[in-house]
Amino acid sequence: MSQNLLTEAKVFEEIKKAVAETLRVDEGKINPETSLIKDLGAESLDFLDINYRLEQAFGIKMARHFVLEHIEEMFGEGAAIDENGQLTDKAVQLLKIRFGDSAPELTHGMDMDEVPSLVTAQSMAQGVMDILDSLPGKCPKCGSAAWKSGNGVRVSCGSCNEAAAFANGDDLIKDWLKKVQEEKKIF
Amino acid sequence: MLPLKDKVALITGSSRGIGNAIARKCALAGADVVINYRKAGGSSQEQAEQLCKEIEGMGRSALMVQADIAAKDSVKKLFSETAGRFGRLDFLILNAAKAPFKPVEKLFERELRQLVETNYLGNIFCIQESVPLLAKSGGRIVFISSLGSRFYNPAYPLGSMKAAMESVVRDCAESLRHKKILVNAVCGGIVRTDSFKILRQYWENIDMLPDELFVEPDEIADATVFLCAPESRGITGQTLVVDRGLSNSLFRAVSNP
Repeated sequence: MSQNLLTEAKVFEEIKKAVAETLRVDEGKINPETSLIKDLGAESLDFLDINYRLEQAFGIKMARHFVLEHIEEMFGEGAAIDENGQLTDKAVQLLKIRFGDSAPELTHGMDMDEVPSLVTAQSMAQGVMDILDSLPGKCPKCGSAAWKSGNGVRVSCGSCNEAAAFANGDDLIKDWLKKVQEEKKIF
Repeated sequence: MLPLKDKVALITGSSRGIGNAIARKCALAGADVVINYRKAGGSSQEQAEQLCKEIEGMGRSALMVQADIAAKDSVKKLFSETAGRFGRLDFLILNAAKAPFKPVEKLFERELRQLVETNYLGNIFCIQESVPLLAKSGGRIVFISSLGSRFYNPAYPLGSMKAAMESVVRDCAESLRHKKILVNAVCGGIVRTDSFKILRQYWENIDMLPDELFVEPDEIADATVFLCAPESRGITGQTLVVDRGLSNSLFRAVSNP
């Protein structure tokens, strides 16, 4: 499913705003490929702040846990990170599917603490888009297919005014993991 | 008369939030301050640098030390740099904390070990290293706890470590009595700091609590300064709850009619 009310460009604008306000940097310094950690000095607490701002802006629930945590929750401790705190081959294989060619530094033995620096403004925008694209075709309350976003980035039903309910970020990661596992049998 | 005049306070985890507020209040009360943060090169370091400048602007000295309290060598460095710069230590404020937000039964072994390493072992490493210095000055230790030590919070395994440390506070108050070191804790209610941003994610209705029940970082800091000041000389082994009365009431309607 997907929605066509909020474009990727619009989402990216909100990402820039949230990142700039949280880290007190100029919006001009934020490009799609900007790593929030490596380029802007973000720390884990800053991500929560950024996520919270995005949640408030869009009326969504961002993922609370990174994909590595979901792997271990689903396939057991040790599935993604070995006893030395390094990525397993299987985790690398999976992250490569998720992050694509944009992460050449992804290799076996990469320290787990290095992984969050793979998060870029673009990958955050993608996360938000995935959530927004979970918008159901019809309003679950009144059944009409008349979603609107007005001038802002909050989607509501054009007929009964009910706020749109999206899937939450963690559930989407879990669904994605299940799908990849069925196709590729990595774990 | 400034209550902490010419004393030296070391506050672990003081780049942000409550630790940052305590560092300022200590400086305002006349103390020189050691600011500690864990991660080099990131936003914490930037905020620590900013805080140092502000404290120096108040006419006090500030020393910034990067150290992870979970690592013993790092803690040794923290105290040797403190002694090297100031030659003394009067107050150790154990504020640093780091924990995942998940129900305790869902923690991975790795997360459990980190929980204990930072929030229990790390604090005790700091106490151990501080004792020779505090014994010379007749100093104080103040542990920053939270209501999680005694009440359920969704997804807050840190609470069990806070409970453990409150009992360490009581034990050390007795075992360090002969060295004239007083040991107490300040147990904070809900404070709107960076960590609160996490709590809020797991506690949907928390924003519906009346505003007057939210504690300001400065209120925790003032109580901490009191526990360092001469006026509290008769108090040791205690945990002072600073929660605007949040924990007094067993039942509270989340929203007023």
